Amino acid sequence: MAEEEKVIEELTTEEALTDPLYVPEPVEGATEHVRSFPAAPQFQEKLGYPGERPENWQEVALAKMDELRGKFRSFRLFLDICVKCGACTDKCHYYMGTADPKNMPVARQDLLRSVYRRYFTLPGKWFPDLVGARELTEDVLDEWYTYYFQCSECRRCSVFCPYGIDTAEITMAAREILDSVGYGMKYTNEIIGKVFDIGNNLGLPKPALASTLEDLEEEIEDDTGVKVRLPLDEPADVLLVTPSADFFAEPHIDGLIGYAKVFHALGEKWTLSSYASEAANFAMFIGSYENMRRIALRIRKAAIDLGVKRIIIGECGHAWRAAYQFLNTLAGPFDFLDPKYPVPQHICEYTWEAIQAGKLRFNKEENDFYKVTFHDSCNVSRASRMGNYPGGQFDIPRNIIKAVCNHYYDMPEGTIKEATLCCGGGGGLLTDDLMEIRKKGGSPRMKALKQASEEYGVNKMAAICAICKTQFSKIMPYYGYGMDDIMSVHQLVSNAIVLPGSEQEAELDGTDENEATEAAE
Amino acid sequence: MITTLYALLYYAATIIFVVGIAYRVWGYWKTPQPANIVTTPAPVTRTGVVWRMFKEVAFFESLWKSNKWIWIFAMMFHLSLWLIIVRHLRYFIDPVWTVVVLAQPFGKYAGFFFVLGGLGLLFRRFVVARVRYISAPSDYLMILMFIGIGLSGLLMTFVNKTDIVAVKAFFRGLMTFNWQPLPADLPVLVHLGLVAVFLIVFPFSKLLHAPGVFFSPTRNMVDNPREKYRPVPWLPPVSEVTFDPPHGSKQS
Amino acid sequence: MAYEVNGKTVEHDEEGYITNLSDWSKELAEVIAKEENIDMTDEHWEVVNFLREYYDEYQIAPAIRVLVKAMKKKFGPEKGNNKYLYELFPYGPAKQACKIAGLPKPTGCV
Repeated sequence: MAEEEKVIEELTTEEALTDPLYVPEPVEGATEHVRSFPAAPQFQEKLGYPGERPENWQEVALAKMDELRGKFRSFRLFLDICVKCGACTDKCHYYMGTADPKNMPVARQDLLRSVYRRYFTLPGKWFPDLVGARELTEDVLDEWYTYYFQCSECRRCSVFCPYGIDTAEITMAAREILDSVGYGMKYTNEIIGKVFDIGNNLGLPKPALASTLEDLEEEIEDDTGVKVRLPLDEPADVLLVTPSADFFAEPHIDGLIGYAKVFHALGEKWTLSSYASEAANFAMFIGSYENMRRIALRIRKAAIDLGVKRIIIGECGHAWRAAYQFLNTLAGPFDFLDPKYPVPQHICEYTWEAIQAGKLRFNKEENDFYKVTFHDSCNVSRASRMGNYPGGQFDIPRNIIKAVCNHYYDMPEGTIKEATLCCGGGGGLLTDDLMEIRKKGGSPRMKALKQASEEYGVNKMAAICAICKTQFSKIMPYYGYGMDDIMSVHQLVSNAIVLPGSEQEAELDGTDENEATEAAE
Repeated sequence: MITTLYALLYYAATIIFVVGIAYRVWGYWKTPQPANIVTTPAPVTRTGVVWRMFKEVAFFESLWKSNKWIWIFAMMFHLSLWLIIVRHLRYFIDPVWTVVVLAQPFGKYAGFFFVLGGLGLLFRRFVVARVRYISAPSDYLMILMFIGIGLSGLLMTFVNKTDIVAVKAFFRGLMTFNWQPLPADLPVLVHLGLVAVFLIVFPFSKLLHAPGVFFSPTRNMVDNPREKYRPVPWLPPVSEVTFDPPHGSKQS
Repeated sequence: MAYEVNGKTVEHDEEGYITNLSDWSKELAEVIAKEENIDMTDEHWEVVNFLREYYDEYQIAPAIRVLVKAMKKKFGPEKGNNKYLYELFPYGPAKQACKIAGLPKPTGCV
């Protein structure tokens, strides 16, 4: 196939294979075949959407578009003000990785904007061809479904747009419109339903969660000789809400162990909640405030029921956005919590504060096998903050890593911090049926990592996002890395932390266990 | 005849321009922005946001980060446009303000840079495959309109000198409803015709980026969602919600 | 979308996970495994059986770590490790083994 050859040609030159920011020439239709499974009716209905496409679906879709135009200034404005300057066209990792022009941010927006123009603006009604307006047909709907699920809502384009147009806002609106005509995505919508039923994305019931946590307590005791607890549904000062992948997946689970050790070392009274056993909020991905709120309210209820003073969120990118930018708005005000602390806080803010106060002891040599780099997760970088100054979200995780590792190196400029490249699996794309787009979308990041490996010998990448971690553990093997070369930041903390009374402490201080325990007391 | 035509055209164009923009801006104003979706890192104070916005509209900070070529052409185009607009104020006010007098020599030559910037942007639209892909016919026409305005203006200024006093009299006449004849030179008619088109098209087109940028929530919001509670206007307050039933009550 | 086992059809979803968990049988597991290009050995069965037992108790598949631990207890560290499990089930012990074991696919960021 000619198209396929063109894609291969564009993406396999020496430069294309090594330059993380390489921009291919557009090849039309390059990824039009990549589509995820649509949601079955039972998954749709649980979220308040029709299970089947209604007879008058065009009317419904256009009415939804009009409704969203009245509810969200972002959507209304962004549809109007794009001047097609082209500044964003080379900024999307999916475009860089696939060469499909519909993956250029402005072109992705135009899939919807063209319909908006046709039905809601005079020029589009009078001169559709002149202004690139088009009817809402079945093909258009399919095209929306295809390409709005090739966007990870990472906001890289919004950094570079002179008007701050954020394609994520358009993508969310498009997905909400698709859902309103019964055309939802299986992966995201099935998962949201599970949160409503069971409390987390995994569908992990309380007994299973309790048993997993017990297992982890055992594991920590085996490793350190210290009884570190992972409390569940206990009255406490701190409620930790973390992505459920932290209870289940590799390398996430080592991050959870890291949080537990930090809490233990500080003597914190903390707890997990089985009711709010999920920090992720996939309803954000589909732009549904109603569903997003329903998930956010679980955190509110858990905080009230457990009588906590503060809420801390575990390592997860979009969850941190959902918490930082949306939790207060959707489930606030949180005036029943201790006003001394921001609501919510990130686990990295918590750990870094303790490190700064000198309350944690580390043996950095434990991480000496590793030459570490840090992958800035998109939602953390461009849709949130840590600490009290702009950019704290870049410094704090790096500071933590540097406090526990001797060898830290950044990936190249232009691929980190506010310009960070998405892992390729965010925004609800972390599903096997989208593996092709995940691999291709992840390629710019992988090339940046390779540069860091070649220059500094970097052999591990740390991240603070459940999606990033899973995505990388799947795609890194395609790029010559091991699936365990992606780590949690708190896994590095966990490796290096010296708990009072632990075997590690005894070894370091050259005393036997009993003496160390006495010293700690 | 031509005087009447242009007089009516300008009344109509002015009304469409002013009312149209007011209507669109009112739309942006009244539409809620429920959550704080500022693109971070973002300022944490109102003053900081003013500074960010200033850098954005005066220096195109984001565009600078993004693409130097577009930045150069866009900067050339917009800076010249401002100088030209200031200079043109002299045809509407009497006596002419000092600042307008000072701008006069710069404004005159800014026309060349205006056209050059426009040509640069047009060139990119043709030559860069990615930009060509996203361009509709209206995108080309829009730039051609500006280039046409610039070229006809330069022609009147430097080549086929127009009776500018008469043009001023025409516009002053329009403002005081005491019409004066418009010199019927071709460059004048083209220039004024295209400017009228510009005024009419403005509220219906991407030209709305000019007032619109100030409403952009990813740029104009203070990064304070944890400190400032912003309820979603169409959702009931938390005191009225029902929570999902306790965990484990339903298993799929 | 269905598997054929002993002249019986068993419905499955787009990704090959059976829709009605009670349709599972050892014969079906062999059929699914074949489609996944896996020859079922004793070790494979050990994993599948453990998953099913765990699922019976907890209504979910175990975390990989729990699975590894169980395998370690049974077969020692040589087979009780992540790498070995991936050798058994190249497409991930959780997802692929669940499919063969007739359990729902673990969802979320996993």
